[in-house]
Amino acid sequence: MTQYSHPLALIAEITHRCPLHCVYCSNPLELTSRQEELATADWLRVFNEAAALGVLHLHLTGGEPLARADLTELIEGARKSRLYSNLITSGIGLSRERLAQLVEAGLDHIQLSFQDSTEGPANWIAGARSHAHKLELAGWIREHQTREHRIAFTTNLVVHRQNIEHLEEMIAALEALHPDRMEIAHAQYYGWALRNRSALLPTRAQLDRAVAVVAAAEERLRGKIRIDMVIPDYHARFPKACMGGWGRQLMLIDPAGRALPCHAAGVIPGMRFDNVRDHGLDWIWQNSEAFQKFRGEAWMPEPCRSCDRRKEDFGGCRCQAFLLTGDASATDPVCELAPLHRLIEDAVREDAVTGLAPEVLEAPFHILQEKMAGFWSYRTDPK
Amino acid sequence: MAELSDASVPKFAAGCRWGGTTEAPVVLFPEGAIRVEGTGRIILELCDGHFSMAEIVEKLETQFILAPKDKIRADVQTFLEQLHAKRIIDY
Repeated sequence: MTQYSHPLALIAEITHRCPLHCVYCSNPLELTSRQEELATADWLRVFNEAAALGVLHLHLTGGEPLARADLTELIEGARKSRLYSNLITSGIGLSRERLAQLVEAGLDHIQLSFQDSTEGPANWIAGARSHAHKLELAGWIREHQTREHRIAFTTNLVVHRQNIEHLEEMIAALEALHPDRMEIAHAQYYGWALRNRSALLPTRAQLDRAVAVVAAAEERLRGKIRIDMVIPDYHARFPKACMGGWGRQLMLIDPAGRALPCHAAGVIPGMRFDNVRDHGLDWIWQNSEAFQKFRGEAWMPEPCRSCDRRKEDFGGCRCQAFLLTGDASATDPVCELAPLHRLIEDAVREDAVTGLAPEVLEAPFHILQEKMAGFWSYRTDPK
Repeated sequence: MAELSDASVPKFAAGCRWGGTTEAPVVLFPEGAIRVEGTGRIILELCDGHFSMAEIVEKLETQFILAPKDKIRADVQTFLEQLHAKRIIDY
């Protein structure tokens, strides 16, 4: 059994409820209902335990965290526990007054999601009318950056084949909102995104252009806006160091209190997740079977076991390995050295093709919606 | 990128602050933290919005009497510029 000193970040999925229905949502296909959600007091205890364990950052996410009426209280609790709080939000349901309350409660960082550069396509991707409100909200966030306690503002854009051709316009549109940071994250293929992969995966040429666009923006905006990009690993030679290694840096608590090593770990069959209602965070970190499962190197097959890169990428992503090969212990097929790398090559050949969707994107919004009906799986809301 | 001059007043950028413990302080920023020790810590403690670049260099001079002034200034500049590019320090 490998002991790890402590996690650095806690991802708190405080609810799965969400007004958006994004086609690339990273939430599990089986969502937690409101009745099963942890109570305020449970979360406050978890934040305290996390800080005592050495956690520095708290990421409040969902679903839409604003759907929790006690969000202000949770942020206040995080501040009392000395955690750095980051709110990951669509902004839907956030009024100017409520934003001021969250900032007053001690929020450090707000990360606002955008779906596209213009109203029609953005709302279409989100499955909701949301774009105009986000623009207004960005202005309100800026109002809080001139005062004594200044929150950081990040715009988050998920990139995929349906919007990748507008990347330059999207960056320009977001730049006008004056964020401190832009996150340009290519969709990762889990949950709803995997289901919609054939409509989302960009081609190699599209990705190369996107990388060049981002590099130019980085150069131009240096010192003004920090840009962090996440590339789609299907086009990489080696896998991503998923979560910085299994059970090494991060802990995720789902709305019902289950502690997971990552967002997607629930897809791996036979996994048993301990609940914060039954155990302290310290106990879970050290002892939970789920956190032990792929820690260290003992579980690794060849070619990982003898590979020099194993200390950098930790064998890649266990959930992706399972979702694509059916075996969670397999080398992540993204790796060009993986025995089943052809699964990725096949997906890129079959799914990463320009076709139906980009052409109809030129159509007026209502025609687009009709043409595309039945083409997507939108995430549903928990009951 | 903004120029760092003697008159610049370096301070933490939005959403960046001290955290960790007194024995092991860290600078927290969106999505990350840096552990600062020794000279780096001394410089960042002076980045509270009260001191100009020239004053920071002056304070370090009295503390590190054996180091040449030009070298101190160059080191502070490189350090702050790196943190500025990461949007941790504004000036």
